[in-house]
Amino acid sequence: MPITFIDVERQKSLRIVLLLFLLVAFYFIFAFIVAQAVVLFMFRADSFFVFGSLKYAAIIAVFVLTLAVVHFSISGYTAVQRVIEQVRAGDPDPEDGIHRQLVNIIEEIHVASGNVRKIRCMVIPTLSMNALAVTDLRGEAVIAITEGLLSRLSRDQLEAVVAHEAYHILSGDCLETSIAASLFGIYASAVEGLKGVSEEDFRAVPFLFLFWVLSTLGSLVTMFISREREYRADAGAVRMTRNPLALAEALHRISARWSGTGFISDGLEMLCISSPTIDAHDESEGWLDDLLSTHPPVRKRIAVLLGMAHVSASVLDSQDRSRTAVQMPGSPASSVYGGSAQEPVVVCPSCRGQLTRESSESTVVFRCRSCMGLLVDNDKIPRILARKQVTCTDRLLALVRAVTADNQRSLAIRQKRLKEKKNEETILCPKCNRVMFRTFYSYAYLIEIDRCSVCHVTWFDTDELEMLQCLIENKIAGTIGIASDVQDV
Amino acid sequence: MIVVWISAGLVFLLSVLGICIYNRLVTLRNDVRNAWSQIDVQLKRRYDLIPNLVAAVRGYMAHEKQVLENVVAARALTLSATKVKERAAAEDGLSLELKGLFAVMEAYPDLKANQNIMLLQEELVSTENRIAFARQLYNDLVANYRTRLEVFPDIVIASVFSFRAAEYFAAGSDDTQLPKAVLSSSA
Repeated sequence: MPITFIDVERQKSLRIVLLLFLLVAFYFIFAFIVAQAVVLFMFRADSFFVFGSLKYAAIIAVFVLTLAVVHFSISGYTAVQRVIEQVRAGDPDPEDGIHRQLVNIIEEIHVASGNVRKIRCMVIPTLSMNALAVTDLRGEAVIAITEGLLSRLSRDQLEAVVAHEAYHILSGDCLETSIAASLFGIYASAVEGLKGVSEEDFRAVPFLFLFWVLSTLGSLVTMFISREREYRADAGAVRMTRNPLALAEALHRISARWSGTGFISDGLEMLCISSPTIDAHDESEGWLDDLLSTHPPVRKRIAVLLGMAHVSASVLDSQDRSRTAVQMPGSPASSVYGGSAQEPVVVCPSCRGQLTRESSESTVVFRCRSCMGLLVDNDKIPRILARKQVTCTDRLLALVRAVTADNQRSLAIRQKRLKEKKNEETILCPKCNRVMFRTFYSYAYLIEIDRCSVCHVTWFDTDELEMLQCLIENKIAGTIGIASDVQDV
Repeated sequence: MIVVWISAGLVFLLSVLGICIYNRLVTLRNDVRNAWSQIDVQLKRRYDLIPNLVAAVRGYMAHEKQVLENVVAARALTLSATKVKERAAAEDGLSLELKGLFAVMEAYPDLKANQNIMLLQEELVSTENRIAFARQLYNDLVANYRTRLEVFPDIVIASVFSFRAAEYFAAGSDDTQLPKAVLSSSA
């Protein structure tokens, strides 16, 4: 490892050439299939093999090579621009205090790295928490941070994250991932877009197929993007900022909250500081996981960093209390990396974040840290309800009144119209992926919840469990006359 | 005849090696000098920023005259230092005083409401960081350079052309730690 960044030579990475070869191979196979199909079906030549003729083979090879080189150079030279457009990143606002802080931090990193390379910073206007670095063959380099991350990290932590991304750029490994993302990753969202179009317009189908193949290849590319580089970037960040604790805290926050799917599109995860999609491979180890994942387990990264800082992991948990954590003293909520690795990943049905184990009234439940929804086994609900002494705030009370009144009304309507099928949005069970059915907790307590009849679990949206408890404790009944109300409708 | 050729070849090889080493040493020395000038740029920046902050804060902090005076005095002291060690000690002193000022500022909620002062403070915090980083880089490069000067073939060239070891920018105490702002744990 070089002593300073002035020593870091810009290495021409072998992997970039590999990417080009992969692309050429892909186009070659694609062209071969097309040519063979054309020959077989158009000219009705029964057993004609295209590459049997040297002339055809040469034409295809030349054609494919030009196409691949053009595609590669376009992707390579416009990677920054394309990724920025895709995540809708913008320049920091000079009027904004926090954005100005980000600009200052980038300047500091320039100083720390010896001004070897100019890096621009940008802001991604989403609430999710993530950061990405992208660079291209033109030499432009950008670090983009989401608004969510900007506002939820302290200055030191933000500095550590920026240093981590800057190391990716300075050490040169960002170039290969950027080109890979630009070549293949970008098409993942194009596939989603075209799926809708192709249902109406059949002309979109070939494009859909091509894009689908490209994005699938993209996920193959993740195979040779090594997880090691994340460890290296963490180490590099620590060398720049000399503050391993701040980076550990930042990673912990990013992993404990919502790292954000849907906003940072699929196919760009290799550019991000922590993987935005929840994937079982990311959080476990083994050769297969190493192959299929772009990021090492956050748990392990944090452990390494804490080792550098000589701090134990419990410090982080005590520092970072979640917003409404209902914790028993002495039984701290185990967070993402604290839990056992073998546990299956459970994903929040409404916002796709990872659910974390939490103990509520001495019982284990799963909470989503971003929308505060709660997943509870059915047989545990009475326990929680019986044990928990919830403080009914005015806000909660008002909410309960409004919701029960509203639900009473809709129940009355439903009964009158004899179970007319409502076109409601349904959510999928986090455990078995089947549709959950939306129902009332009971007809006495009109709080709507989602139940899975297979796994016997219940999903409470934000505040629903609290409302239910409030309702039971205060014995609030609906105050609207049913009969009169229905007539209005 | 052959002996002459061989010795000529040896001399040629040795001189090529010597030139390479010499060039590398010059590069390293220039890197060190450049890093030093970077520290200077940041120190100058801090020097210029401090009067603005002191002037802006003075009105709010009538009872904390001593803290402000300490900062001003420490700032003046940095100019008088000539040697690297003295300079480092003076700058460390200024950092320490600034740390004290920031800590005191925490106790004045009025200051937090003043956009202008928050801006100045952020600029100063950033400058403190830059100084620390520039210093870190400088010291890394000095360490690198010093090692080169003491390693075998290089030491010959270095002594012939009288390359001198650069001094570390350090006064003994470490001040890379910035004042830790106490942040509410969730946003």
